[in-house]
Amino acid sequence: MSFSFQACKMVLTSEQVPQTDAQTLKSKHKKQRQRNRPRNKRNRLEDSNTTTPETSATDAASAMPGKQDAVATEKTRDQVMAEREAKKLAKQAKKQKNATTSTAAAPAPPTASTTVSPTPATPATKIITEVEQTTITTKLTTTTTTKVQDAVVSKTTQPAAVNGKDAEAGDKTREQIKAEREAKKAAKKAGKGGGAKVEGVSQQMADLKVAEQVPVPANAAPAATEADQEKKKPALSKAERRAIQEAQRAAKAQGQTKKAQPAGKAPPTAVPKEPKRESVSPTKAAASSSPSKCPASTPNGDCRVKLFNHLVCAKEDSQFINDPLVHPSIARLGVQYARRTVVGSNARCIAFLHALRQVVHDFETPAKKEFGRSLDAAVKHHVDHLHKCRPLAVSVSNAYKQFKNQLTQLPADVPETELKELLVHFIDTYIENQIGKAAQAISGFLQEKITDGDVLLTFACSSLIQFICEEAKRRQVAFRVIVVDSRPGCEGQELLRRLHANGIPCTYVLINAVGYVMAEATKVLLGAHALLANGYVMARTGTAQVALVANAHNVPVLVCCETHKFSERFQTDAIVYNELSDPNQLVRGDKCQLSNWAAKGKLLPLNLSYDITPPELVSAVVTEVAILPCTSVPVILRIKPDIGY
Amino acid sequence: MKEQPLKEITQLIHAIKVGLVEGSYNITNKTLDIFKYIIMSKSWQNADALMQIVRDQCKILQAALPQETVTSNIARRILKLTREEFDLLHAKVQHFADDSQASMSLHKLVTQTSESNVSVDYSVPQQGLREALLDHLQEVETELETSSENICVQAEEHIHSSEIILTLGHSRSVENFLKRAIKKRQFLTIIVAECAPACRGHNLAASLAGEKNVEIVVIPDAAIFAMMSRVNKVIIGTHSVLANGGLRAACGAYTVALAAKHYSVPVIVLAPMYKLSPLHLCEQDAFNMVGCAEDVIPYDSIPAREAKVYSPMFDYVPPELITLFISNTGGHAPSYVYRLLTELYHPEDLEI
Repeated sequence: MSFSFQACKMVLTSEQVPQTDAQTLKSKHKKQRQRNRPRNKRNRLEDSNTTTPETSATDAASAMPGKQDAVATEKTRDQVMAEREAKKLAKQAKKQKNATTSTAAAPAPPTASTTVSPTPATPATKIITEVEQTTITTKLTTTTTTKVQDAVVSKTTQPAAVNGKDAEAGDKTREQIKAEREAKKAAKKAGKGGGAKVEGVSQQMADLKVAEQVPVPANAAPAATEADQEKKKPALSKAERRAIQEAQRAAKAQGQTKKAQPAGKAPPTAVPKEPKRESVSPTKAAASSSPSKCPASTPNGDCRVKLFNHLVCAKEDSQFINDPLVHPSIARLGVQYARRTVVGSNARCIAFLHALRQVVHDFETPAKKEFGRSLDAAVKHHVDHLHKCRPLAVSVSNAYKQFKNQLTQLPADVPETELKELLVHFIDTYIENQIGKAAQAISGFLQEKITDGDVLLTFACSSLIQFICEEAKRRQVAFRVIVVDSRPGCEGQELLRRLHANGIPCTYVLINAVGYVMAEATKVLLGAHALLANGYVMARTGTAQVALVANAHNVPVLVCCETHKFSERFQTDAIVYNELSDPNQLVRGDKCQLSNWAAKGKLLPLNLSYDITPPELVSAVVTEVAILPCTSVPVILRIKPDIGY
Repeated sequence: MKEQPLKEITQLIHAIKVGLVEGSYNITNKTLDIFKYIIMSKSWQNADALMQIVRDQCKILQAALPQETVTSNIARRILKLTREEFDLLHAKVQHFADDSQASMSLHKLVTQTSESNVSVDYSVPQQGLREALLDHLQEVETELETSSENICVQAEEHIHSSEIILTLGHSRSVENFLKRAIKKRQFLTIIVAECAPACRGHNLAASLAGEKNVEIVVIPDAAIFAMMSRVNKVIIGTHSVLANGGLRAACGAYTVALAAKHYSVPVIVLAPMYKLSPLHLCEQDAFNMVGCAEDVIPYDSIPAREAKVYSPMFDYVPPELITLFISNTGGHAPSYVYRLLTELYHPEDLEI
């Protein structure tokens, strides 16, 4: 899909903009080549999009026969096409360079930098949402709006809205092509400015963007299976390599300047099948790239709180991408976990299952090996990789356990494709039942509890609480919500934004003021990361404090938690097992006294991720099975295998 | 007729409002200076006139700065001083020295209330009152100056080595107290809750980090409960101590005290005597103020347009959550605060 977009865009641009002699010549060449190409689904689509009517007509006519084999050998054709595109682009870039050096003194390298430099000042939007398709799996759609200021052309600014759509997971060649195209675009613009100064044309361009914003290095992205197939490109010419490098640099710089923004206006590509409670907190992404990173940001033994020496610390994510055995979708998920772009127990679980489905889909049994076992080993490797990026959420490890369980029960003597279908079906039903329907059931239970005049107090951002509030709003209950939040995450702002979008009246306070607002509250609804077997609730840090104050004010505390988050672990305090987030998040700007804390002796910021709420502070746990006391968790755990699936 | 504020009072109010004078100690000191100036001035002829001036100015201060209770506290001290000195001089004249020299014991307070109701006429001009007052005021000043030091001295009595101490925000008393403790004791771990949105805890942490043999851990306010299970002692400062032994302290202190209670961790409150106020307020609604909410959520963010955002400045901490007060005169249980108050202020001055 994505390739057709790319190619057609190039054709469109070459035809729409006024051209210098060299460019027209070149585009003619290109059309010639296009016509000579073997017909398949892809360039049929592409050609039908071209503005010249006669070509599209002939193409459409001649396209039919090539259709069948195109589907079968999609992958290899992709690669062949990719290579061809790359070569073409490189040639163009070279030509462009020769043509414009004399006039505008703006060959590819300088323009690449000019396209990038103005971006920080301009508003950029990044919208992340999950897209579900049959052949292409979950991917992140990135929409970037960048105003490109052409420095060479007097003062004419040419805004180019770059609308991005993700291709199949971080394929290397694609990445390059995208980058090359960007370079070409820039070069063309420069050339245009040098030749004819007539236009202030604003172009809408479809652009390929991998959500990770980091161009995946050559050896990293393709999975083992794909790597086998892939033929290495013919030796690149010098100019080609130059162009590629420049473009990659430009793409990287552009990616860095992107600002994350609320994921509210999901593009039309978002498929409705997905549970829309996806909580991909954008604030996290912004926080991770906070400017006040101190040099010794990787806390080693010296810069760590003694109490927490036993816990693994968050690592830099750059070390995770150089693993050829990791599937690109998992590699990306790992980076998203590590950077906290995907946060929240449910969101992490859904993202994991989508990535897992892609792994299953792309899995090829090695020669003389059994499908189930080799897949098990491969998935284990992937899960280990994710664990290295960020310790697995309980929901994720539960999902993985169930998946493994399913693997062992696979029927023998069934073709591999059917087995894959079985597994994919299992994953889909798991998402639907354990997360989607469970949320509905929990919401159903709670709707009876929410009545007119209620004041619900909640902490941080829980997708489930949001769902419940929206449902109550739909029932036209007159209630309001107090959102309690805490630094440094400030996830509550996200919930506040979402509730605000639904027209629910809200109050917002920080956690130290919880005593101030608790008197107003009639119920406390809390989300949970996990429910432990001894009835303790593991949730975002601060949850226990809210429950404590609620208890002191005799306000009932209801914890909402799906059973897929139940854990068999026992824990009595938040220190034995926890997760340490980046301590630099505590630093507020450069003027903060904490800035450069590593240099100030034994000054250690501590950013715990979770805390443990003792069961005596919780009135009841609302699960999809029933409303239960905390102490009933082991009961549910014991009967759990019989629920659903 | 409504009294006009003195020029100095207006200046002080302005200075406090714009933040030139910060901290209870500095405010107390400045107020005391003004009252000293009033006493030295020739504007009063007898004790009654002086007390009237002090009352009027104190009312003005109170109206302008309702949150700063220390100003009225110091005014009450001055009133009490005036009464005492007047009585003393009066008694000397009347040769009743033996009786008035006796200390104000609890027994006496109880038994003599009816007798002492015989109203003293303060409007009688008294020789040497001014000099006696200035003398006594000197004592009060010294007490004020040494109060912080006197509290610090007690650090050794309360902190042992390798202790884990939690504190909240930034209190000057706590800062000095902990610095002393760090000097005297080895391997302390001090956990500082940052106290958002102002995050003054960062300043305290940075200030303490210069010392040796200590580990300073800065945590967000949300992690107080999580860390409390490992804490040996909670040491906090306070804005003022209320008559029932409760606290009016920085926002977040209530959560700290509750969490400490949950884990049975002793809560020690450092409160110099000038912070004791004879106010009977038993819930935060009675005195709380809301601050600027910009730090809580940026005004220009979308949800901020509709949502109600609060940034309260104080918390009420009930006396049952507090283990011990440490003042410059020693340690006190919360239940003993009322008694300290009767010693500090004259019963007739509780309402200014």
